[in-house]
Amino acid sequence: MKKFGAWFQKQNMYLLVGLLMTGLAVVLGILSFFWTPYGTTTMSVAERFHAPSLRHLFGTDNFGRDIFSRVMQGIGTTVIVSSLIVLISASAGILIGAVTGYFGGILDEVIMRITDAVNAFPSILLALVVISILGSGKQNVVLSLGIVFTPSYVRIVRSEFIRLRDSDFVCRARLMGVSKLRILFIHILPNIWSVFWVSVTIGFNNAILAESGMSYLGIGVQPPDASLGKMLSDAQGYLGRAPWYALAPGLTIVWIVLGFSLLSEGVRRKEEKKK
Amino acid sequence: MIKIEHLSVAFDGPEVVRDVSFTIGDGEILGVVGESGSGKSVTALTLMGLVSESAHVTSGKIYYDDQLLLEAGKPRDNALYREYQGPKMSMVFQEPMTSLNPTMKVGAQVEEMLLLHDRKCLGESIASAPKQNEIQTQKGQLADAEGVKMEEAKTRYAVGFTGWREERKKEKARRKNRVLEALRGVGLREAERVYDCYPHQLSGGMRQRVMIAMAVILHPGLIVADEPTTALDVTVQNQIIELLKKINQEQKNSLLFITHDLNLARRLCDRILVMQDGLIVESGHTEDIFNDPKGEYTKKLISAVPGRTGKRKSPHEKIRPLVEVRDLSVFYRENANSLFGKTVKKCVVHHADFTVYEGEILGLVGESGCGKTSLSKAILGLNKMTEGSVTHHSNSPQMVFQDPYSSLNPMKTVGWLLQEPLRAQGILDPSKAMSEKDREAAAHDMLRKVGMSEKYFTRRPSQLSGGQRQRISIGQALITRPGLVIADEPVSALDVTIQAQILELIRSLQEELKTSFLFISHDINVIYQVSDRIMVMKDGKILEIGETEEVFQHPKDPYTKELLR
Repeated sequence: MKKFGAWFQKQNMYLLVGLLMTGLAVVLGILSFFWTPYGTTTMSVAERFHAPSLRHLFGTDNFGRDIFSRVMQGIGTTVIVSSLIVLISASAGILIGAVTGYFGGILDEVIMRITDAVNAFPSILLALVVISILGSGKQNVVLSLGIVFTPSYVRIVRSEFIRLRDSDFVCRARLMGVSKLRILFIHILPNIWSVFWVSVTIGFNNAILAESGMSYLGIGVQPPDASLGKMLSDAQGYLGRAPWYALAPGLTIVWIVLGFSLLSEGVRRKEEKKK
Repeated sequence: MIKIEHLSVAFDGPEVVRDVSFTIGDGEILGVVGESGSGKSVTALTLMGLVSESAHVTSGKIYYDDQLLLEAGKPRDNALYREYQGPKMSMVFQEPMTSLNPTMKVGAQVEEMLLLHDRKCLGESIASAPKQNEIQTQKGQLADAEGVKMEEAKTRYAVGFTGWREERKKEKARRKNRVLEALRGVGLREAERVYDCYPHQLSGGMRQRVMIAMAVILHPGLIVADEPTTALDVTVQNQIIELLKKINQEQKNSLLFITHDLNLARRLCDRILVMQDGLIVESGHTEDIFNDPKGEYTKKLISAVPGRTGKRKSPHEKIRPLVEVRDLSVFYRENANSLFGKTVKKCVVHHADFTVYEGEILGLVGESGCGKTSLSKAILGLNKMTEGSVTHHSNSPQMVFQDPYSSLNPMKTVGWLLQEPLRAQGILDPSKAMSEKDREAAAHDMLRKVGMSEKYFTRRPSQLSGGQRQRISIGQALITRPGLVIADEPVSALDVTIQAQILELIRSLQEELKTSFLFISHDINVIYQVSDRIMVMKDGKILEIGETEEVFQHPKDPYTKELLR
């Protein structure tokens, strides 16, 4: 026991708990593609509004579908959609931020004013505009939120590149005759990871919330696909009769977001310790 | 006057000051000399009661005039210290940029010392009888102050509120006068103007003078000066040293002078303590220590100080010019980084005209802001806003920077860093491309040349010391065998013993590889040690250029003479 106590003291609890929480969610999400306890679309009139029990861990909904199975599928959808959103916005952010930050000039000014304009609108509203042009659906949610979240990454990457572009080691790389592309992505980029990683994890949480929000509004993931936000919006009519219907997806969102925040905090602390 | 007995201080971990005992006599100037990390600053801060709360005094006692200030195992008595900090002991810090409040006018900051301490201090110094030598200097002043106090009290009761306000005004004027006097006392000629200036409107030297004025305005018994001249230019450094000397003679207070620069300590101090790794390794009168050092470490320190002896031999022959700089003027664009910003061209180098010959070390000496770095950047082609011409007769020159912490990419390993110039060269010019193996071999070879062992190959810069990083920087600059390396203050950020090693390394590598160096420094002694020829620069103009010996023996320009003093 004493040994365990000592081990416990040494651990980075943020990292550990964060990993456990997100790990569990991700495993469930991936598992949902292959197996769920019940079919996610199997309806049964006899089983409507069952309270959580051993048979139905999170109970059943108004169609008698197993909520746990649907939450699993919802996690799968949400995690994949959010990851894609982060992937798109972060890579666009790196590209644009690196170029504008390093070269500066008129291009930088113009792009910064555009990002200012994008930032001036609430992200959901802007995504709505994109959706109304492109139509709803998973891929369009990804695209629209990807565009909406890009400016925040541009800003972060740009400011880091501005900070580093005149540093001595970059100056020396230039003297060695290193090409601009190599300076940008091999010399400077690795130096901004620690800052960038924090913004990625925050962005991931925002993406989860935004995706759920859009699905809740009915413009995100379309039925019969399950999504946590969609489930929330479906559940609100039965809040009095079957509170578990709303609680299950809601708490799951909290679980994932909290887990990811802890994970990012844990990574940040670990990086700090290294320095 | 100050007695420190067996003082040990530890932060979390090992002790950084170990069993340090010394005394400072009345009116004495005691120098504490050592390299960075030797514990000299921590000792001073502990004495001043300014060391952070995370430091533990593990043993020892500190006395000020037989008053016990600090004892191990007991928490710092902050109330007691507050009575001593300011009126009885004060401190001058290294960095004049950060030790003044940027949002307060300088006058108000000096005046604050009077507001906080004046009355209490005067009252106390009347109560505690001053010593014999102090009586002479303070007698008139004290009598004066006492008179003022009595008078003030009388009038305050006599004339009521309006009169009291009048009196306040007068008091304010008197305070201002005292501040102005103090500012003049530290050699600030335009005291009135300085009084109304913000710190950023003053130069580094002036700011340091203001700091000194703050420290001495209350005539404290002890002044602690922690590297007060390190951030300043050489000529300003001389002035500050003279000023400290003058104040010491006039006010008869003791001075604890902390420095890494033995030359300064020699010029100023009566006695010197040499510290290493938190221990006092040697102490004695200044001349005794310099003439007859006992400890190994002291000998090493003294021999490492760049002097005007031991110049490199190998007189070069001016055969082939390597870089010809003809009538070069360098400009800077100001305020060009916004959409509608107007650009202002500012000339920082005026009509520079010189030649760097093959295989020589050309020293460039001048104070900060004189255009040395701008000139070097123009030669490297990093600054395009130039007039005149720079002709290179060899491949592209490389550079070694001052700060070893920022000039190496912190995310890469030493091996990667050493190979990068070769990779870049290979991409630029496919005929010079090398195989992975050759590159690695070349990097290993260079690592040995700069005097580091194989095991550093996979380390990152953060795992190296400042001197080691500078070695890697030099290796990185030399690995492509450039004709010219520009070294911009390569040793200024290093400790004196490391400095000597790096200078030695540059000299030996230069002899081995026959690379030319443009060696930039503010320290004329360093320049003397490495250079074949010297160039003196001031305010963007090259004042003098010539053979090292020639310039040192017969300086033509008055500014050069001032530098050589």
